[in-house]
Amino acid sequence: MTTVDTSTIFEPLRFRALEVKNRVFRSSLAGRFNNYDGTGNQAHVNWDLKFARGGVGAIISSNAPVHPRGLIVPNYAHIDRDETVPFWREVVRRVHEHDCRYLVQLAFSGRQRDLGGIQFDKGWSSTDKPEPIHGLRCERMTVEDIRELVRCFADGARRAREAGADGVEVHGCNGYLITQFLSPAVNNRKDDYGGSLGNRARFALDVVRAIRAEVGDDYHLQFKITAVDYGKDLFPWSARGTTIEESVQVCKWLEEAGIDAFHVSSGNSFPHPRNPAGDFPIQDVVRGYDTMISSGKHTFRNYLLFRVWPFNRVFKWAWERTSRGRVEGINLADARAIKEAVSVPVLCTGGFQTASLIAAAIARGDCDGVTIARPLIANPNLVELWRAGHDRPQRPCTYSNKCLINQLENPLGCYDESRFDSRDDMVREILSVYEPPQFVQ
Amino acid sequence: MPRRRGGSLHGRTEPHRSTVSTNAIFEPLSLGALTLKNRVLRSSVAGRFDNYDGSGTAVRMNWDVKFARGGVGAIISSNAPIHERGHIVPGYAYLDTDERMPFWRELGKRVHEHDCRYIVQLVFAGRERILPGLRYESALGATDDPEPINGFPCRALTTEQIREVTGWFVQASRRVREAGLDGIELAGANGMLFTQFLSPAINTRKDDYGGTLQNRARFALDVVRAIRREVGSDFCLGFKISVDEAPRELLPWLGRGNPMEDVVRVCGWLEEAGVDYIHVSAGTGFPHPRNPAGRFPVKEVVKTYDTVLSSGPRTLRNYVVFRTWPLSAVFRWWWQRPAKRLGVEGINLPGSRAVKQAVSVPVLCTGGFQTASVISGAIERGDCDGVTIARPLVANPDLVRLFEQGHDSPPRPCTYCNKCLFNFIENPLGCYEESRFDSPEAMVREILSVFEEPSYSGMSMPTGVV
Repeated sequence: MTTVDTSTIFEPLRFRALEVKNRVFRSSLAGRFNNYDGTGNQAHVNWDLKFARGGVGAIISSNAPVHPRGLIVPNYAHIDRDETVPFWREVVRRVHEHDCRYLVQLAFSGRQRDLGGIQFDKGWSSTDKPEPIHGLRCERMTVEDIRELVRCFADGARRAREAGADGVEVHGCNGYLITQFLSPAVNNRKDDYGGSLGNRARFALDVVRAIRAEVGDDYHLQFKITAVDYGKDLFPWSARGTTIEESVQVCKWLEEAGIDAFHVSSGNSFPHPRNPAGDFPIQDVVRGYDTMISSGKHTFRNYLLFRVWPFNRVFKWAWERTSRGRVEGINLADARAIKEAVSVPVLCTGGFQTASLIAAAIARGDCDGVTIARPLIANPNLVELWRAGHDRPQRPCTYSNKCLINQLENPLGCYDESRFDSRDDMVREILSVYEPPQFVQ
Repeated sequence: MPRRRGGSLHGRTEPHRSTVSTNAIFEPLSLGALTLKNRVLRSSVAGRFDNYDGSGTAVRMNWDVKFARGGVGAIISSNAPIHERGHIVPGYAYLDTDERMPFWRELGKRVHEHDCRYIVQLVFAGRERILPGLRYESALGATDDPEPINGFPCRALTTEQIREVTGWFVQASRRVREAGLDGIELAGANGMLFTQFLSPAINTRKDDYGGTLQNRARFALDVVRAIRREVGSDFCLGFKISVDEAPRELLPWLGRGNPMEDVVRVCGWLEEAGVDYIHVSAGTGFPHPRNPAGRFPVKEVVKTYDTVLSSGPRTLRNYVVFRTWPLSAVFRWWWQRPAKRLGVEGINLPGSRAVKQAVSVPVLCTGGFQTASVISGAIERGDCDGVTIARPLVANPDLVRLFEQGHDSPPRPCTYCNKCLFNFIENPLGCYEESRFDSPEAMVREILSVFEEPSYSGMSMPTGVV
C-alpha cells in the first residue's frame, strides 16, 4: 500500500478539445487480431474493452495504417478506406460504454515492415536504404508520393472522426515513416524533405496541417514523437540521429501547426533497446522471429545469431545494457525537456506501473499523463489496483518483452509464465481475448 | 508434370468445348441419407481465416460461400479439429465445444442458400501438426515417433486416451448434426491420426491397436461405430482414406504403407461399420508428392516455410535445403517425380476404382480434377461416383458453372503449381499463380476478395450475431 499521495493520477486531464477522466492512457498496442486485409474482427473489440473496463482514461488504438502499404504486419485494423469506418465506430461505441475515450493512432510504417504482406513488395520511405536491423527493403518516395500520403493521413483522420473517435494520434516515432523523415541518420534526401531540420520536419508538418484542415479546429490531434534517436544504442557505428534540441524545435513547430498534445517515446527503430526497454527474451525470439526470415536481407543471419550460443548471449547482454535498472520512466527526462518548451500537455510512455512514481513525475512537471502498454497487458486492471491503494500490482510486468515477440505468431498477451500459477492459467488468460466470440447463440 | 492445355505465355487457353457427354456430372448423388444435386464436391480446403483459439469468423463463411455460389453440390469443410491438441495449424474453426455451434449453424445456413450441402470434416491431426499453438508441446499420435519430414514431436496415445479421442469425435459429430449441417467426414487420409494408426509404416504399437491389419484398423472402426450410434443411421458419415500411402515417394528410407488389397479390406470394414461413402486420397503425410500432386514451388516455400522453423528439429535443415541451390533443385525433382510419372488429374483414379469394386457405398475421388470429360469418363467407367476438388476450385470457384456452360476445362485452368498450398501458412488462401491473371494486382485483388463483405459493414450490428 502506498503512503504517498497519488491522487493526481485520478485528476482529469484537459486538452484543448478533449477531457480525459484520469492521467492514464493505454498506449498503442495490439496483436494480430484482425483480418489480413485490415478489416476488423471481434477479437480486437474484446482486446480494447479489457483496458476500458480496467479503468484507463483513454485508449490509443493499435497502429492503424492509413494506406495498405503502410502496415507493419498484416492483421491489424486499417483505417485506409471508408469501408473501415463501421468497424471503428463499433470499437468506439463499446469503449465509450466504460467512460473511456478513444484515440485512433494514424500510422504508416515506411521501411519498417516486419511482415510486408502480399500487396506491396517494398515499403515507402524517405530513403531507399534498407532498414538496418532486418534489411527490410524500401523505395524512396517521390514528392508526388508524399503528397498522396499526406492526403491519406488526412482521410484517416476524417474517418476516425466519422467513427466517433475522440481524437487521433499521429504515429511519428519509433522508426516508422515520420521518424524516417525526421532523423538525419535515416533521411538522406536532397530535396525539400531532407537536409536541414526544417526540411526533415516538413513531412510531419504537412501531415499535421492537412489533418487539421480536414477535421477542423475542435478535434483532438496529438503527435507521438521520438524525442531522441539513440541510434548508437543499437549500432555504435550509426550516424548522428535526432537530438533532444532538434525534437524540442520540431515540437514547437508542430504546436504552431495545430497539435494539442505530445506523446514522448524514444528510439529510431522498433524494437529498440530503450523501447520497449527491458529483456531480450532469447527463447521466445527464436520461436517467433522465424516467421520474419523471408522479410529482409539480414533476417536469416539474425535468426542464426539468436539461435547460436554464445552470439545470442552477447547480443542479449548488449541489448539489455542500455536500460538495465531504469525501465520505468526511462523517457521522463526527454518528456520534461519537451514539456518545458511547449504549452500543450505532454504524455510519456515507458514501463509505468508504480502509482507513486507516476504521481511524482506529474507533480514534478515531467509530464501531464502517462501511456502504458506492457504493464497493462500484464494487469489490464492496473488503474483499479491503484485506486484500491496498491502502489504497484502484486504481479507486476517483468519487462520480459515476451509479449512483443510472441505477437508475430501468437495472440498478444502476457507470456511470462512466472507471473502465473501455471502455464495453463497463462494460456487461458491469453486466449480470453477471443471471448465472447462473434457468433453466439 | 501438370498438363498444360496449349497454354500461352499468360497461362490462358482457348475455351475448350466438350464434345463428349458430361451429363454424368450433373446427375444427383446419394451419400446415405444425403442427396447432392451433382457429382462435384469441394474438397476440404481452407486458409487460416478464423481466430487463433478456433472460434470462427465471417471470412470463413465468405470463403465457403464462394464455392457454394460456384455450383458445387456439396462443400466439405475446412478440417475442423475436434480438440485443440488435434489441430494442424491455429486459425481454423474448431468444433470442440458446444459454444462453437452458432458459428457452424450460421455457416451452414449461408451455404444452404445456394442449394449446396455442407459436410463437416472432423480432424485430429496427430503428429501432422505444423504449428503446435500454445498449449501442447507435443502432439498425440499412434506412436512416439516424430513426424519424419519436419520432426514434429509426438507422444503415443494410451488406451485411455484413445477412448477419450473417440469421445471427442462422437461429441463433435453430434454438434454437426445439431448445428443443422448435412454430414460428417472423418479425415482419415493424408497422414492424419487415422492414417497413423492404419499405416504399417507408422504404427509400431504392440497393443490391440497395432500389429495386424485388424488391430491397426480398430481405432477407425471404433470411431465410426461410435459416431453411428450417436448420430443415428439417417445421417451422412464418410471416411477419407489414403489408398496409396507411398511413404517411400516422400523419403526412400521409410517403411511400406498398406498394399491395395489391405486398403480395400479396410474400406469393406468401414462400410460394415456404417460409413455412407469412402473418399479416396493418397499420401502418408501432408503435403505429399501425390497429394496435392504437382509442382514444388521452391520460391514460395522459402518465403513461408520459415514460420514453421520452430515447430520441429528437422525444419532448419529443410529450410537450408529449400534455400540452397542445387539442393533445392534436387528436392524439387524428387518431389515432382510421382506426379510426372502418373499425371496430376485423376492421379487417384486407379485406387478409387479398386475401392469401388470392393464396396457398395459411393466412392468419391480427389486429385486435380478440372476437366469435365475426365470426370464424367471416370464416373461412367465406374472409377468413382463423384469427385472432390480443391486447387482447381481455388483457381476457378465457378468451375461447375463453366462445365454447365459447356466448357470442358476452364479458360484459365489450375496449373497445379501448389503456390496456394505453401502460401496459406502466412497469407490468405487463394490462387497465387500470377500467370493465371492479367496482372499481379488482379491476383492480389482476387485473393483479398475473401474478406468482402466485412463483418462490420455499417448496415447493422456485426453480421455474426445470430
